Amino acid sequence: MTHFLPFLVTAMNRHSTFMCRNRFSLSPVALVLTVCGSLLFVSGCGKTPAASFRPNMVEAAKQRLKPEQEEQVATILEAMFGTPDNPIAMPETGLDIGKLRLAAGPVHSDIVGRKNGLFREHCSHCHGVTGDGMGPTAAFLNPYPRDYRPGWFKFKSTERADKPTHGDLVTILNNGIYGTSMPSFELLGEAKVDALVEYVKYLSMRGEAELNMMRYFFELDDEDEGKLPETRDFLVEEILLPVAERWQEAEDAVIEVPEMPEVDLAESIAMGKELFYGNKANCVKCHGVTALGDGQANDYDDWNKVVKQWSDEVQSSHEVSTKEMSREEKAEHREYLARADKALAGDALEPRTIQPRNLRQAIYRGGRRPIDFYYRIHAGINGAPMPAAAGTLTPDEIWHVVNYIRSLPYEFDGELGADRSMVARDRL
Amino acid sequence: MRNRLAGIFWSILFLAVPVLGVGVFAIAPSIDVWLPKDVSSHGKEIDSLFYFILALTGIVFIVTEMLLFWFIWKYDAAARGDEKATYIHGSHTLEVIWTIIPAVTMLFLAIYQMNAWADMKMRRPVMKPTVEVVARQFEWRLRYPGPDGDLGTPDDLFLVNDLHVPVDEDILIQLKSMDVLHSFFLPNLRMKQDAVPGMKIPVWFKATETGQYDLVCAELCGWGHYKMKGRITIESREDYDAWLEAKYREQEATQPEPMDEIL
Amino acid sequence: MRNLCLSRENCLPRRVGLTLGVSSRPGLQWSVANCLLCTMLLCMTLLCTMTGCGQSRLPAPTPDSEAAIALRASLASDSAGGAGGSEVVSTGTGWGTLTGRFVFVGSPPAAKQLIVDKDTAVCTAEGRKLFDQSLQVDEATGGLANVVVFARKVSRVKEREMPEEPLVFDQKVCEFLTPVFAARVGQPIDVRNSDPIGHNTNVSGTSFNQLIPAGEGTLFTPARETGMPTMVTCNIHPWMKAYAVFREDGYVAVTAADGSFTIPDLPAGEEVELQVWHERSTGPNGALAADMPELGWSSKGRFTVTLEADGTTDIGEVQIPASAVGS
Repeated sequence: MTHFLPFLVTAMNRHSTFMCRNRFSLSPVALVLTVCGSLLFVSGCGKTPAASFRPNMVEAAKQRLKPEQEEQVATILEAMFGTPDNPIAMPETGLDIGKLRLAAGPVHSDIVGRKNGLFREHCSHCHGVTGDGMGPTAAFLNPYPRDYRPGWFKFKSTERADKPTHGDLVTILNNGIYGTSMPSFELLGEAKVDALVEYVKYLSMRGEAELNMMRYFFELDDEDEGKLPETRDFLVEEILLPVAERWQEAEDAVIEVPEMPEVDLAESIAMGKELFYGNKANCVKCHGVTALGDGQANDYDDWNKVVKQWSDEVQSSHEVSTKEMSREEKAEHREYLARADKALAGDALEPRTIQPRNLRQAIYRGGRRPIDFYYRIHAGINGAPMPAAAGTLTPDEIWHVVNYIRSLPYEFDGELGADRSMVARDRL
Repeated sequence: MRNRLAGIFWSILFLAVPVLGVGVFAIAPSIDVWLPKDVSSHGKEIDSLFYFILALTGIVFIVTEMLLFWFIWKYDAAARGDEKATYIHGSHTLEVIWTIIPAVTMLFLAIYQMNAWADMKMRRPVMKPTVEVVARQFEWRLRYPGPDGDLGTPDDLFLVNDLHVPVDEDILIQLKSMDVLHSFFLPNLRMKQDAVPGMKIPVWFKATETGQYDLVCAELCGWGHYKMKGRITIESREDYDAWLEAKYREQEATQPEPMDEIL
Repeated sequence: MRNLCLSRENCLPRRVGLTLGVSSRPGLQWSVANCLLCTMLLCMTLLCTMTGCGQSRLPAPTPDSEAAIALRASLASDSAGGAGGSEVVSTGTGWGTLTGRFVFVGSPPAAKQLIVDKDTAVCTAEGRKLFDQSLQVDEATGGLANVVVFARKVSRVKEREMPEEPLVFDQKVCEFLTPVFAARVGQPIDVRNSDPIGHNTNVSGTSFNQLIPAGEGTLFTPARETGMPTMVTCNIHPWMKAYAVFREDGYVAVTAADGSFTIPDLPAGEEVELQVWHERSTGPNGALAADMPELGWSSKGRFTVTLEADGTTDIGEVQIPASAVGS
């Protein structure tokens, strides 16, 4: 808007000579307005620079990287993954460059009229161009949008530490995550959802490779002079492949689900209830005696925990006495703390505790199919405090808990009037 | 120096407004920016009301604009030499007339549309809801009551954005909002109703033709307002039942679906 | 403001001038208000221009695009080789034992009391209190417990049998009994729960986050090295915290209550680099720095020794100042 201002002022002046009896000269005020407007225009508020990936400044500050080390990581990442407008899929990643191009770049139509730039159209305002969960709307949301960079995904059909399958992510995009701000994208159509999933995988691989590299500086020997070796053996074999292979392996690592035992549903629910409140499955400890999710209020999920722990650490480092330090040590210490404070303020969101799910609302983030419950109870939820029950509970027992949890919203026949705490106390 | 050109410029400018206005309405249907296809039983009445009011306001618009043009043209000071304007204080009779005519017109419209309003907003069919629609930032969460016909029971079917209804049957939607004001808008069914947090608002209609149409949000509800595009599928009773059954089976899955079904 | 602009002429731009509150009279009659307004406008614009539109964040490095293109080409060709990490070449023979002792200098601060808000009937029965165990200093000897020392890279590993008996990692009255423990990759760990209440044990960085029912236990076999020690928590009781370190070669030790440690069977007759870690360390990734230039002790918490074959090499007392462990 601002660049219209000078034009408007001069236009008005010209107009006045036509309309008025008296000649209208350029007033000093108009002059100032023109100058101000031009200044704003030139200063570049109106221009959009080419999109770039934001480096993981929290990890960089935490690992105390030097500017040239940060630059090396950024350059290597550009070599291996390209830029937001021009993504690159190395064959080792197993990613489909065609799909990536559809999702990457600014929003535009290509030669055949196909919509490109899907990620920036639909996802980046929450998840950020980098997939760091720091888009402009992120701070308003609870829970925060997912940060793909650590490579942890919650709702999937694979074991806890494994990556999700392609199908798992498609399901998330199709169904949305009810109870969070993630909406459904099913009506975009299969091809677009597929492209977006591919791009999420790309951003996650890129972010994890970045983390691995930033952490590797600590592992370097002293004679390496703080520089990562730029060889194929290191960058591809040691940094990229371990990440990419785990994504490829996920497709064959789906949890095997035995059939639901053939018992009467009411009986199964009763057994599930026993387990829920018992010392074996211990669901009650976090989900609460009322199952309203009020049993545990002061834990963090892994994304927030990383920020919280480091921020506590930085806080206590501020209190460390610098008396015994040498002049250089003191300067280094101050520099580290200043960068840490800035990274925590500008590149991380205020850490927030995680709430166990309220099981009475019939709102389930990871899907409501019995099999979705089975996966979550069997393997736990990656990144969240929810532990795995496999090994502690038999598959049949897991199914009983699934049946009980699915019955919880209707336990009181949909009526809210029943005195839940009384009922819960009787049960204990 | 009195400029006759200025008077001509302004009067022509004001004449351009009715000419362009009428022109746009005249060509709009032929370039497909007119009312979307109507597939509802009550749509005809709504549309005829729309056309009636359009005609009425259209005539008033044209007359007013022509008068405006004529006065600017005729009474331009530059063209009238030294003739002085007459100073009048107002005409009581004129004011009464131009108050009464619009008042009567408005009153007529209010009474004339009352039946249509009652049909759409007051005479609710006596039935249980076909589906509950919960608007939230930024999607439409749907809950079908399942075979028992009651919402809030274990056989409920949960879906998102993809609304299906049977054709030629009364449909009763229970509309809620989870967060802010939204507006449930089915252009082809001539149906628009605000969803208000804390309220359970009944919306009803009867679809007359099968097909897939838009479901959109018509109330700016936040930065992701544009994302709230859903879809309504109107289908035969058999197709509808089969679809419900298939979706319910999906929801109750105890084994993973084969990959080709997900993708 | 309106009065400023009253003039006989009432043409259109004058009106605009009115709404802007500035005079457009050609005579350049500057009023005080006009001056003020213009100055304000200029200042605001300058401020906007200088601060830019972004918030103040850490400056991001700019990738070197030309170097990136060149690197991309070299990564694509298989010929661009060269070992990533430098392998250590064996130069010595025989095996030796390394020992030493960590001592905290000064008087340790009082341990913080932990907030226990759950299962208090078990965890804080009879007025029991739980304390933060991250800094444990032996009162008599000043020894610093729970320091981890492990070999970074060794040229050869002495073949030792994997202990068949699982390592016991127990929790009792809502505390982990071993706040820091070390194991070999592939060595079974018996994660026990000796409480009458349920716990879960979450070893971050691994796939293990398992429910441990009251009085029971489950086996966990670490499959990968941890690098620096990794955190172990109980999510049901978030105050519970421990650290685990898993090493492929098993050359790892945790200091005892008196601050002493022993790593047997290290390759002798050649330089061995060791890494030191402490939970409270202010160094990067928990690396513990010490003022021992004779061992080449670096800010990354590493030192180098050459062991005598079939003997014990003692690095002596390592003095750890309070500032190095964040107190």
